[in-house]
Amino acid sequence: MQRIRRQADGIQAWQRVVIDIPGPEFEPTPPRVLGGTCPDSECDGWSTAEVTLRSASLRGERHRYYRQPRQDATCAVVHEGTGTVMFAVADGVSSATAATVGAAEACRAAVWAIHAQLDEGRPGHDFPAAVGYTVETLHRQAAAMLQQEPDLAQVEELVATTLVAGTARPGAEGIEISLFRVGDSGAWVLDLARPRFHPLFGSKTEGDVVATSVTALPRVPRKLEQWFGKLVPGQVLLVGTDGFGDPLGDGDGRVGALFAEHLAVPPSPLWLAHLLDFSRETFDDDRTLLALWPRSEAR
Amino acid sequence: MAETRGVLLPAYVVADESASMGPYYQDLSGGLAALCNGLRAEPMIAAKVRLAILGFSDDVQLRQGLSDMRMVERLPQLAVRGATNYGAAFADLLQRIPHDVQMLKNDGYKVHRPVAFFLSDGQPTDGRHWHGPHQMLVDRNTLPFAPNIIACGIGSARADTMLQVATRQEFAFVALPSADIGRAIAEFFHALTASLVASGRAMADGNPQLIVNRPDQFRLAIDEV
Repeated sequence: MQRIRRQADGIQAWQRVVIDIPGPEFEPTPPRVLGGTCPDSECDGWSTAEVTLRSASLRGERHRYYRQPRQDATCAVVHEGTGTVMFAVADGVSSATAATVGAAEACRAAVWAIHAQLDEGRPGHDFPAAVGYTVETLHRQAAAMLQQEPDLAQVEELVATTLVAGTARPGAEGIEISLFRVGDSGAWVLDLARPRFHPLFGSKTEGDVVATSVTALPRVPRKLEQWFGKLVPGQVLLVGTDGFGDPLGDGDGRVGALFAEHLAVPPSPLWLAHLLDFSRETFDDDRTLLALWPRSEAR
Repeated sequence: MAETRGVLLPAYVVADESASMGPYYQDLSGGLAALCNGLRAEPMIAAKVRLAILGFSDDVQLRQGLSDMRMVERLPQLAVRGATNYGAAFADLLQRIPHDVQMLKNDGYKVHRPVAFFLSDGQPTDGRHWHGPHQMLVDRNTLPFAPNIIACGIGSARADTMLQVATRQEFAFVALPSADIGRAIAEFFHALTASLVASGRAMADGNPQLIVNRPDQFRLAIDEV
Protein backbone atom coordinates (compact mmCIF):
# COMPACT_ATOMS: atom_id res chain seq x y z
CA MET A 1 0.00 0.00 0.00
CA GLN A 2 2.80 2.35 0.95
CA ARG A 3 4.56 1.52 -2.30
CA ILE A 4 1.44 2.27 -4.27
CA ARG A 5 1.08 5.58 -2.51
CA ARG A 6 4.70 6.42 -3.23
CA GLN A 7 4.25 5.63 -6.90
CA ALA A 8 1.33 8.02 -7.01
CA ASP A 9 3.31 10.92 -5.59
CA GLY A 10 3.89 13.69 -8.07
CA ILE A 11 1.07 12.67 -10.35
CA GLN A 12 -1.02 15.69 -11.12
CA ALA A 13 -3.56 16.22 -13.84
CA TRP A 14 -2.40 18.64 -16.50
CA GLN A 15 -4.66 21.65 -16.32
CA ARG A 16 -5.55 22.93 -19.72
CA VAL A 17 -3.47 25.93 -20.71
CA VAL A 18 -5.74 28.99 -20.94
CA ILE A 19 -4.71 32.18 -22.67
CA ASP A 20 -6.83 35.29 -22.12
CA ILE A 21 -10.52 34.29 -22.43
CA PRO A 22 -10.97 30.51 -22.76
CA GLY A 23 -13.17 28.92 -25.38
CA PRO A 24 -16.28 26.99 -24.34
CA GLU A 25 -15.80 23.78 -22.38
CA PHE A 26 -17.48 20.63 -23.67
CA GLU A 27 -16.82 16.95 -24.25
CA PRO A 28 -15.64 16.46 -27.84
CA THR A 29 -18.01 14.68 -30.18
CA PRO A 30 -16.91 11.72 -32.30
CA PRO A 31 -15.95 12.75 -35.81
CA ARG A 32 -18.08 11.64 -38.70
CA VAL A 33 -16.21 9.52 -41.18
CA LEU A 34 -15.73 11.81 -44.17
CA GLY A 35 -13.74 9.73 -46.62
CA GLY A 36 -11.41 8.80 -43.79
CA THR A 37 -10.66 9.71 -40.25
CA CYS A 38 -7.77 10.03 -37.83
CA PRO A 39 -7.30 10.33 -34.07
CA ASP A 40 -8.19 13.56 -32.28
CA SER A 41 -4.55 14.12 -31.38
CA GLU A 42 -1.16 12.68 -32.19
CA CYS A 43 2.39 13.56 -31.31
CA ASP A 44 5.86 12.36 -32.18
CA GLY A 45 9.43 12.94 -31.08
CA TRP A 46 12.91 11.61 -31.65
CA SER A 47 16.50 12.69 -32.24
CA THR A 48 19.13 11.89 -34.81
CA ALA A 49 22.79 12.61 -34.16
CA GLU A 50 22.25 16.16 -35.44
CA VAL A 51 18.68 17.24 -34.77
CA THR A 52 15.84 16.74 -32.33
CA LEU A 53 12.29 16.67 -33.65
CA ARG A 54 8.97 17.11 -31.90
CA SER A 55 5.56 17.36 -33.50
CA ALA A 56 1.93 17.44 -32.47
CA SER A 57 -1.31 17.67 -34.40
CA LEU A 58 -4.63 18.32 -32.68
CA ARG A 59 -8.28 18.54 -33.64
CA GLY A 60 -9.55 22.06 -33.16
CA GLU A 61 -12.43 22.98 -30.90
CA ARG A 62 -14.70 23.73 -33.84
CA HIS A 63 -14.18 20.29 -35.28
CA ARG A 64 -14.58 18.71 -31.84
CA TYR A 65 -17.87 20.55 -31.44
CA TYR A 66 -19.31 19.95 -34.91
CA ARG A 67 -18.34 16.27 -35.28
CA GLN A 68 -15.63 16.91 -37.83
CA PRO A 69 -12.37 14.94 -37.97
CA ARG A 70 -9.01 16.62 -37.66
CA GLN A 71 -8.00 17.93 -41.09
CA ASP A 72 -4.38 18.72 -40.26
CA ALA A 73 -1.58 16.23 -40.68
CA THR A 74 2.15 15.97 -40.25
CA CYS A 75 4.86 13.40 -40.79
CA ALA A 76 8.64 13.22 -40.65
CA VAL A 77 11.24 10.59 -41.50
CA VAL A 78 15.02 10.32 -41.67
CA HIS A 79 16.99 9.44 -44.76
CA GLU A 80 19.47 6.97 -43.36
CA GLY A 81 22.17 7.53 -45.96
CA THR A 82 22.50 11.27 -45.50
CA GLY A 83 21.05 11.89 -42.04
CA THR A 84 18.61 14.29 -43.66
CA VAL A 85 15.30 14.77 -41.89
CA MET A 86 12.31 15.20 -44.21
CA PHE A 87 9.13 16.65 -42.82
CA ALA A 88 5.74 17.90 -43.92
CA VAL A 89 2.76 19.69 -42.41
CA ALA A 90 -0.59 19.99 -44.18
CA ASP A 91 -3.97 21.57 -43.52
CA GLY A 92 -6.83 20.00 -45.46
CA VAL A 93 -9.20 22.60 -46.88
CA SER A 94 -12.46 22.34 -44.98
CA SER A 95 -14.64 22.62 -48.06
CA ALA A 96 -12.98 19.45 -49.41
CA THR A 97 -15.12 16.49 -48.47
CA ALA A 98 -12.18 14.24 -47.59
CA ALA A 99 -9.82 16.93 -46.31
CA THR A 100 -8.47 14.59 -43.64
CA VAL A 101 -7.31 12.18 -46.32
CA GLY A 102 -5.91 14.95 -48.50
CA ALA A 103 -3.74 16.38 -45.74
CA ALA A 104 -2.37 13.00 -44.68
CA GLU A 105 -1.69 11.86 -48.26
CA ALA A 106 0.00 15.14 -49.16
CA CYS A 107 2.37 14.83 -46.20
CA ARG A 108 3.26 11.24 -47.02
CA ALA A 109 3.69 11.94 -50.73
CA ALA A 110 5.88 15.01 -50.24
CA VAL A 111 8.16 13.25 -47.78
CA TRP A 112 8.35 10.18 -49.98
CA ALA A 113 9.19 12.24 -53.06
CA ILE A 114 12.04 14.00 -51.28
CA HIS A 115 13.28 10.69 -49.87
CA ALA A 116 13.37 9.27 -53.40
CA GLN A 117 15.44 12.24 -54.61
CA LEU A 118 17.97 11.63 -51.84
CA ASP A 119 18.07 7.93 -52.71
CA GLU A 120 19.01 8.95 -56.24
CA GLY A 121 21.93 10.95 -54.89
CA ARG A 122 20.26 14.30 -55.55
CA PRO A 123 20.22 17.13 -52.97
CA GLY A 124 16.55 16.56 -52.12
CA HIS A 125 15.28 20.04 -52.80
CA ASP A 126 13.80 19.71 -56.24
CA PHE A 127 10.59 20.92 -54.72
CA PRO A 128 8.64 21.49 -57.94
CA ALA A 129 9.11 17.78 -58.63
CA ALA A 130 8.02 16.91 -55.08
CA VAL A 131 4.90 19.05 -55.52
CA GLY A 132 4.21 17.37 -58.86
CA TYR A 133 4.40 13.95 -57.27
CA THR A 134 2.15 15.08 -54.43
CA VAL A 135 -0.45 16.35 -56.89
CA GLU A 136 -0.31 13.03 -58.74
CA THR A 137 -0.82 11.20 -55.46
CA LEU A 138 -3.83 13.34 -54.61
CA HIS A 139 -5.21 12.66 -58.07
CA ARG A 140 -4.77 8.88 -57.62
CA GLN A 141 -6.36 9.07 -54.19
CA ALA A 142 -9.36 10.94 -55.55
CA ALA A 143 -9.67 8.43 -58.41
CA ALA A 144 -9.70 5.56 -55.93
CA MET A 145 -12.33 7.23 -53.78
CA LEU A 146 -14.55 8.24 -56.68
CA GLN A 147 -13.88 5.05 -58.63
CA GLN A 148 -13.50 7.13 -61.77
CA GLU A 149 -10.90 9.38 -63.37
CA PRO A 150 -11.42 12.80 -61.76
CA ASP A 151 -10.75 16.22 -63.26
CA LEU A 152 -8.84 18.87 -61.32
CA ALA A 153 -11.99 20.38 -59.84
CA GLN A 154 -13.10 16.99 -58.54
CA VAL A 155 -9.71 16.34 -56.94
CA GLU A 156 -9.94 19.78 -55.35
CA GLU A 157 -13.44 19.19 -54.06
CA LEU A 158 -12.34 15.95 -52.45
CA VAL A 159 -8.78 16.33 -51.12
CA ALA A 160 -7.61 19.97 -51.39
CA THR A 161 -4.90 20.77 -48.88
CA THR A 162 -2.16 23.24 -48.01
CA LEU A 163 1.35 21.87 -47.62
CA VAL A 164 4.66 22.95 -46.13
CA ALA A 165 7.47 20.46 -46.51
CA GLY A 166 11.23 20.39 -46.58
CA THR A 167 14.48 18.98 -45.34
CA ALA A 168 16.94 19.54 -42.52
CA ARG A 169 20.36 18.39 -43.63
CA PRO A 170 23.49 18.36 -41.46
CA GLY A 171 26.10 20.77 -42.82
CA ALA A 172 29.46 22.18 -41.84
CA GLU A 173 27.99 25.41 -40.46
CA GLY A 174 24.77 24.14 -38.96
CA ILE A 175 21.65 22.47 -40.19
CA GLU A 176 20.77 23.37 -43.77
CA ILE A 177 17.06 23.95 -44.05
CA SER A 178 15.15 23.83 -47.33
CA LEU A 179 11.42 24.47 -47.39
CA PHE A 180 8.53 25.04 -49.74
CA ARG A 181 4.90 25.78 -49.22
CA VAL A 182 1.59 25.85 -51.03
CA GLY A 183 -1.17 27.68 -49.17
CA ASP A 184 -1.31 29.54 -45.89
CA SER A 185 0.46 27.20 -43.50
CA GLY A 186 3.63 28.72 -42.12
CA ALA A 187 7.19 28.31 -40.94
CA TRP A 188 9.27 30.31 -38.51
CA VAL A 189 12.71 30.37 -36.99
CA LEU A 190 12.46 30.94 -33.26
CA ASP A 191 15.48 32.85 -32.04
CA LEU A 192 15.69 31.75 -28.42
CA ALA A 193 17.98 34.47 -27.10
CA ARG A 194 15.67 37.41 -27.83
CA PRO A 195 13.20 35.50 -28.10
CA ARG A 196 11.67 36.22 -31.49
CA PHE A 197 9.73 34.36 -34.16
CA HIS A 198 11.00 35.09 -37.68
CA PRO A 199 8.40 34.13 -40.30
CA LEU A 200 9.93 32.41 -43.31
CA PHE A 201 6.93 33.10 -45.55
CA GLY A 202 4.54 36.05 -45.88
CA SER A 203 1.41 36.44 -43.75
CA LYS A 204 -2.14 36.04 -45.01
CA THR A 205 -3.29 39.56 -44.22
CA GLU A 206 -4.15 41.62 -47.32
CA GLY A 207 -3.99 45.24 -46.30
CA ASP A 208 -6.31 45.86 -43.39
CA VAL A 209 -8.74 43.07 -44.17
CA VAL A 210 -7.97 39.48 -43.24
CA ALA A 211 -7.75 37.43 -46.41
CA THR A 212 -9.75 34.25 -46.39
CA SER A 213 -8.91 32.73 -49.77
CA VAL A 214 -6.45 29.88 -49.73
CA THR A 215 -4.34 28.51 -52.55
CA ALA A 216 -4.17 24.80 -52.04
CA LEU A 217 -3.11 21.62 -53.78
CA PRO A 218 -3.95 20.14 -56.25
CA ARG A 219 -3.65 23.67 -57.66
CA VAL A 220 -0.03 24.74 -57.87
CA PRO A 221 1.01 28.41 -57.79
CA ARG A 222 2.93 29.68 -60.81
CA LYS A 223 5.90 30.42 -58.58
CA LEU A 224 6.45 28.02 -55.72
CA GLU A 225 7.35 29.71 -52.43
CA GLN A 226 10.67 28.33 -51.17
CA TRP A 227 13.09 29.16 -48.39
CA PHE A 228 16.68 28.06 -47.91
CA GLY A 229 18.77 28.86 -44.86
CA LYS A 230 20.69 27.56 -41.88
CA LEU A 231 19.58 26.61 -38.42
CA VAL A 232 22.20 27.12 -35.73
CA PRO A 233 22.27 26.44 -32.00
CA GLY A 234 19.98 28.88 -30.22
CA GLN A 235 17.37 28.59 -32.95
CA VAL A 236 14.36 26.35 -33.46
CA LEU A 237 12.68 25.70 -36.78
CA LEU A 238 8.89 25.69 -36.46
CA VAL A 239 6.50 24.52 -39.14
CA GLY A 240 2.80 24.87 -38.43
CA THR A 241 -0.68 25.25 -39.77
CA ASP A 242 -2.66 28.47 -39.40
CA GLY A 243 -4.30 26.98 -36.32
CA PHE A 244 -0.96 27.73 -34.67
CA GLY A 245 0.13 30.66 -36.84
CA ASP A 246 -3.02 32.76 -36.41
CA PRO A 247 -2.95 32.90 -32.61
CA LEU A 248 0.84 33.29 -32.70
CA GLY A 249 0.72 36.40 -34.89
CA ASP A 250 4.10 38.10 -34.70
CA GLY A 251 4.91 36.03 -31.66
CA ASP A 252 5.17 39.09 -29.45
CA GLY A 253 2.11 38.27 -27.35
CA ARG A 254 1.05 35.65 -24.86
CA VAL A 255 1.02 32.76 -27.30
CA GLY A 256 4.52 33.61 -28.48
CA ALA A 257 5.74 33.92 -24.89
CA LEU A 258 4.26 30.54 -23.99
CA PHE A 259 5.95 28.72 -26.85
CA ALA A 260 9.23 30.62 -26.61
CA GLU A 261 9.49 29.58 -22.98
CA HIS A 262 8.53 25.95 -23.43
CA LEU A 263 10.51 25.37 -26.62
CA ALA A 264 13.76 26.69 -25.20
CA VAL A 265 14.74 23.04 -24.97
CA PRO A 266 12.86 20.18 -26.62
CA PRO A 267 9.86 19.28 -24.46
CA SER A 268 8.39 15.79 -24.39
CA PRO A 269 6.11 15.14 -27.37
CA LEU A 270 3.13 14.84 -25.01
CA TRP A 271 3.94 18.19 -23.41
CA LEU A 272 4.14 19.83 -26.81
CA ALA A 273 0.69 18.44 -27.61
CA HIS A 274 -0.60 19.69 -24.26
CA LEU A 275 0.75 23.18 -24.89
CA LEU A 276 -0.63 23.26 -28.40
CA ASP A 277 -4.07 22.39 -27.07
CA PHE A 278 -4.28 25.74 -25.28
CA SER A 279 -7.72 27.29 -25.01
CA ARG A 280 -8.30 30.82 -26.27
CA GLU A 281 -11.66 32.15 -27.39
CA THR A 282 -12.18 32.34 -31.19
CA PHE A 283 -9.10 30.21 -31.95
CA ASP A 284 -10.79 26.92 -32.67
CA ASP A 285 -9.02 25.59 -35.76
CA ASP A 286 -7.00 22.37 -35.91
CA ARG A 287 -3.44 22.99 -34.77
CA THR A 288 -0.27 21.34 -35.96
CA LEU A 289 3.28 22.23 -35.01
CA LEU A 290 6.54 20.54 -35.92
CA ALA A 291 9.74 21.76 -34.26
CA LEU A 292 13.38 21.00 -35.01
CA TRP A 293 16.36 21.82 -32.80
CA PRO A 294 20.01 21.46 -33.75
CA ARG A 295 21.17 18.47 -31.71
CA SER A 296 23.42 20.48 -29.40
CA GLU A 297 20.21 22.00 -28.07
CA ALA A 298 18.77 18.61 -27.21
CA ARG A 299 18.53 17.58 -23.56
CA MET B 1 0.62 40.40 -38.00
CA ALA B 2 0.79 41.11 -34.27
CA GLU B 3 -0.86 38.67 -31.90
CA THR B 4 -4.59 39.09 -32.13
CA ARG B 5 -7.44 38.04 -29.90
CA GLY B 6 -9.22 36.61 -32.93
CA VAL B 7 -10.71 37.48 -36.27
CA LEU B 8 -14.26 38.82 -36.15
CA LEU B 9 -17.04 39.34 -38.67
CA PRO B 10 -18.77 42.70 -38.11
CA ALA B 11 -22.39 42.41 -39.25
CA TYR B 12 -25.02 45.12 -39.56
CA VAL B 13 -28.75 44.68 -39.80
CA VAL B 14 -30.17 47.77 -41.49
CA ALA B 15 -33.94 47.56 -41.11
CA ASP B 16 -36.52 49.86 -42.62
CA GLU B 17 -38.56 51.54 -39.86
CA SER B 18 -40.69 53.67 -42.18
CA ALA B 19 -44.38 54.09 -41.40
CA SER B 20 -45.40 51.52 -43.99
CA MET B 21 -43.72 48.84 -41.86
CA GLY B 22 -46.28 49.53 -39.09
CA PRO B 23 -48.47 46.49 -39.75
CA TYR B 24 -45.39 44.27 -39.53
CA TYR B 25 -43.88 45.55 -36.32
CA GLN B 26 -44.47 42.24 -34.51
CA ASP B 27 -42.81 40.37 -37.36
CA LEU B 28 -39.77 42.64 -37.16
CA SER B 29 -39.49 42.16 -33.40
CA GLY B 30 -39.97 38.42 -33.72
CA GLY B 31 -37.35 38.28 -36.44
CA LEU B 32 -34.81 40.12 -34.33
CA ALA B 33 -35.48 37.80 -31.39
CA ALA B 34 -35.02 34.76 -33.63
CA LEU B 35 -31.75 36.19 -34.94
CA CYS B 36 -30.39 36.78 -31.45
CA ASN B 37 -31.46 33.35 -30.22
CA GLY B 38 -30.14 31.68 -33.34
CA LEU B 39 -26.69 33.14 -32.80
CA ARG B 40 -26.69 32.26 -29.12
CA ALA B 41 -27.42 28.66 -30.06
CA GLU B 42 -24.11 28.60 -31.95
CA PRO B 43 -21.57 29.71 -29.35
CA MET B 44 -18.57 28.84 -31.54
CA ILE B 45 -19.87 31.13 -34.27
CA ALA B 46 -21.34 33.81 -32.02
CA ALA B 47 -17.89 34.33 -30.49
CA LYS B 48 -16.63 35.47 -33.90
CA VAL B 49 -19.53 37.69 -34.97
CA ARG B 50 -20.25 41.20 -33.74
CA LEU B 51 -23.75 42.37 -34.61
CA ALA B 52 -25.22 45.86 -34.83
CA ILE B 53 -28.89 46.69 -35.39
CA LEU B 54 -29.79 49.94 -37.17
CA GLY B 55 -33.26 51.23 -37.85
CA PHE B 56 -33.57 53.72 -40.70
CA SER B 57 -36.32 56.05 -41.70
CA ASP B 58 -35.87 59.83 -42.01
CA ASP B 59 -32.64 59.22 -40.13
CA VAL B 60 -30.85 56.30 -38.55
CA GLN B 61 -31.36 55.17 -35.00
CA LEU B 62 -28.83 52.81 -33.47
CA ARG B 63 -30.91 50.08 -31.84
CA GLN B 64 -27.90 48.06 -30.80
CA GLY B 65 -24.25 48.92 -31.18
CA LEU B 66 -21.81 46.31 -32.44
CA SER B 67 -22.15 43.58 -29.83
CA ASP B 68 -21.21 40.05 -28.91
CA MET B 69 -24.66 38.48 -28.94
CA ARG B 70 -23.72 36.06 -26.19
CA MET B 71 -23.46 39.05 -23.88
CA VAL B 72 -26.64 40.88 -24.90
CA GLU B 73 -29.33 40.40 -22.28
CA ARG B 74 -32.03 42.70 -23.64
CA LEU B 75 -33.27 42.36 -27.17
CA PRO B 76 -33.11 45.52 -29.26
CA GLN B 77 -36.42 47.07 -30.27
CA LEU B 78 -37.20 48.71 -33.59
CA ALA B 79 -39.67 51.60 -33.90
CA VAL B 80 -41.95 52.51 -36.77
CA ARG B 81 -41.70 56.11 -37.96
CA GLY B 82 -41.29 58.46 -40.94
CA ALA B 83 -40.06 57.96 -44.49
CA THR B 84 -37.57 55.70 -46.30
CA ASN B 85 -34.34 57.61 -46.61
CA TYR B 86 -31.80 55.18 -48.08
CA GLY B 87 -29.14 57.89 -48.14
CA ALA B 88 -29.32 58.30 -44.38
CA ALA B 89 -28.70 54.57 -43.95
CA PHE B 90 -25.65 54.46 -46.20
CA ALA B 91 -24.19 57.70 -44.85
CA ASP B 92 -24.50 56.29 -41.36
CA LEU B 93 -22.71 53.07 -42.31
CA LEU B 94 -20.03 55.11 -44.06
CA GLN B 95 -19.21 56.80 -40.76
CA ARG B 96 -19.97 53.90 -38.47
CA ILE B 97 -18.02 51.03 -40.04
CA PRO B 98 -14.53 52.59 -39.90
CA HIS B 99 -15.20 53.64 -36.31
CA ASP B 100 -16.39 50.17 -35.31
CA VAL B 101 -13.52 48.44 -37.07
CA GLN B 102 -11.03 50.69 -35.35
CA MET B 103 -12.68 49.92 -32.04
CA LEU B 104 -12.33 46.18 -32.64
CA LYS B 105 -8.71 46.63 -33.68
CA ASN B 106 -8.04 48.66 -30.55
CA ASP B 107 -9.43 45.73 -28.58
CA GLY B 108 -6.87 43.47 -30.23
CA TYR B 109 -9.01 41.86 -32.94
CA LYS B 110 -8.65 41.61 -36.67
CA VAL B 111 -11.67 41.72 -38.92
CA HIS B 112 -13.15 40.10 -41.95
CA ARG B 113 -14.86 42.37 -44.44
CA PRO B 114 -18.05 43.63 -42.75
CA VAL B 115 -21.46 42.61 -44.02
CA ALA B 116 -24.67 44.62 -44.02
CA PHE B 117 -28.12 43.05 -44.34
CA PHE B 118 -30.46 45.68 -45.73
CA LEU B 119 -34.23 45.21 -45.50
CA SER B 120 -36.74 47.68 -46.96
CA ASP B 121 -40.40 47.60 -47.87
CA GLY B 122 -40.34 50.58 -50.14
CA GLN B 123 -38.61 52.67 -52.74
CA PRO B 124 -36.24 55.35 -51.44
CA THR B 125 -37.98 58.60 -50.61
CA ASP B 126 -34.76 60.52 -51.17
CA GLY B 127 -34.82 59.98 -54.93
CA ARG B 128 -31.34 59.41 -56.30
CA HIS B 129 -29.59 61.23 -53.49
CA TRP B 130 -28.66 57.95 -51.83
CA HIS B 131 -26.39 56.99 -54.74
CA GLY B 132 -23.56 59.26 -53.53
CA PRO B 133 -23.15 57.86 -50.01
CA HIS B 134 -23.80 54.36 -51.32
CA GLN B 135 -20.99 54.61 -53.87
CA MET B 136 -18.59 55.88 -51.24
CA LEU B 137 -19.65 53.08 -48.90
CA VAL B 138 -18.93 50.28 -51.35
CA ASP B 139 -15.73 51.72 -52.86
CA ARG B 140 -12.95 49.47 -51.56
CA ASN B 141 -10.28 51.87 -52.80
CA THR B 142 -11.37 54.67 -50.51
CA LEU B 143 -12.95 52.58 -47.76
CA PRO B 144 -10.75 49.55 -47.01
CA PHE B 145 -13.51 48.01 -44.94
CA ALA B 146 -16.24 48.60 -47.50
CA PRO B 147 -18.96 46.12 -46.58
CA ASN B 148 -20.65 43.42 -48.57
CA ILE B 149 -24.29 44.46 -48.77
CA ILE B 150 -27.13 41.97 -49.00
CA ALA B 151 -30.36 43.71 -50.01
CA CYS B 152 -33.82 42.27 -49.47
CA GLY B 153 -36.86 44.09 -50.80
CA ILE B 154 -40.42 43.48 -49.68
CA GLY B 155 -43.68 45.26 -50.42
CA SER B 156 -43.10 48.01 -52.93
CA ALA B 157 -39.30 47.81 -52.96
CA ARG B 158 -38.31 47.13 -56.56
CA ALA B 159 -35.90 44.52 -57.87
CA ASP B 160 -33.79 47.02 -59.81
CA THR B 161 -33.36 49.10 -56.66
CA MET B 162 -32.24 46.09 -54.62
CA LEU B 163 -29.74 45.28 -57.35
CA GLN B 164 -28.32 48.78 -57.04
CA VAL B 165 -28.05 48.48 -53.27
CA ALA B 166 -26.48 45.01 -53.15
CA THR B 167 -22.77 44.68 -53.80
CA ARG B 168 -23.26 41.59 -55.95
CA GLN B 169 -26.15 40.43 -58.10
CA GLU B 170 -26.54 37.27 -56.07
CA PHE B 171 -26.87 39.34 -52.91
CA ALA B 172 -30.08 41.07 -54.09
CA PHE B 173 -33.46 39.53 -53.34
CA VAL B 174 -37.09 40.55 -53.63
CA ALA B 175 -40.11 38.94 -52.02
CA LEU B 176 -42.31 36.89 -54.30
CA PRO B 177 -45.43 38.81 -55.36
CA SER B 178 -47.52 36.19 -53.63
CA ALA B 179 -45.53 36.34 -50.40
CA ASP B 180 -47.12 37.30 -47.14
CA ILE B 181 -45.05 40.29 -45.97
CA GLY B 182 -44.99 39.24 -42.34
CA ARG B 183 -43.74 35.80 -43.26
CA ALA B 184 -41.22 37.29 -45.67
CA ILE B 185 -39.78 39.39 -42.83
CA ALA B 186 -39.49 36.28 -40.66
CA GLU B 187 -37.77 34.46 -43.51
CA PHE B 188 -35.37 37.39 -43.99
CA PHE B 189 -34.18 37.06 -40.41
CA HIS B 190 -34.07 33.28 -40.65
CA ALA B 191 -31.87 33.47 -43.76
CA LEU B 192 -29.76 36.18 -42.15
CA THR B 193 -29.06 33.94 -39.15
CA ALA B 194 -28.24 30.98 -41.38
CA SER B 195 -25.97 33.16 -43.52
CA LEU B 196 -24.09 34.48 -40.51
CA VAL B 197 -23.61 31.00 -39.08
CA ALA B 198 -22.54 29.54 -42.43
CA SER B 199 -20.25 32.46 -43.17
CA GLY B 200 -18.74 32.32 -39.72
CA ARG B 201 -17.91 28.65 -40.19
CA ALA B 202 -16.69 29.10 -43.75
CA MET B 203 -14.45 32.03 -42.93
CA ALA B 204 -12.96 30.15 -40.04
CA ASP B 205 -12.33 27.28 -42.44
CA GLY B 206 -10.54 29.53 -44.93
CA ASN B 207 -13.26 29.68 -47.55
CA PRO B 208 -13.12 32.86 -49.53
CA GLN B 209 -16.73 33.93 -49.84
CA LEU B 210 -19.51 35.23 -47.74
CA ILE B 211 -22.26 32.63 -47.78
CA VAL B 212 -25.67 34.16 -48.39
CA ASN B 213 -28.77 32.02 -48.11
CA ARG B 214 -31.76 33.05 -50.21
CA PRO B 215 -34.69 33.59 -47.87
CA ASP B 216 -37.79 31.52 -48.48
CA GLN B 217 -40.53 33.67 -50.02
CA PHE B 218 -37.83 35.61 -51.91
CA ARG B 219 -36.23 35.27 -55.29
CA LEU B 220 -33.12 36.76 -56.80
CA ALA B 221 -33.78 40.32 -57.89
CA ILE B 222 -31.86 39.72 -61.11
CA ASP B 223 -34.51 37.19 -62.15
CA GLU B 224 -37.13 39.92 -62.06
CA VAL B 225 -35.31 42.71 -63.89
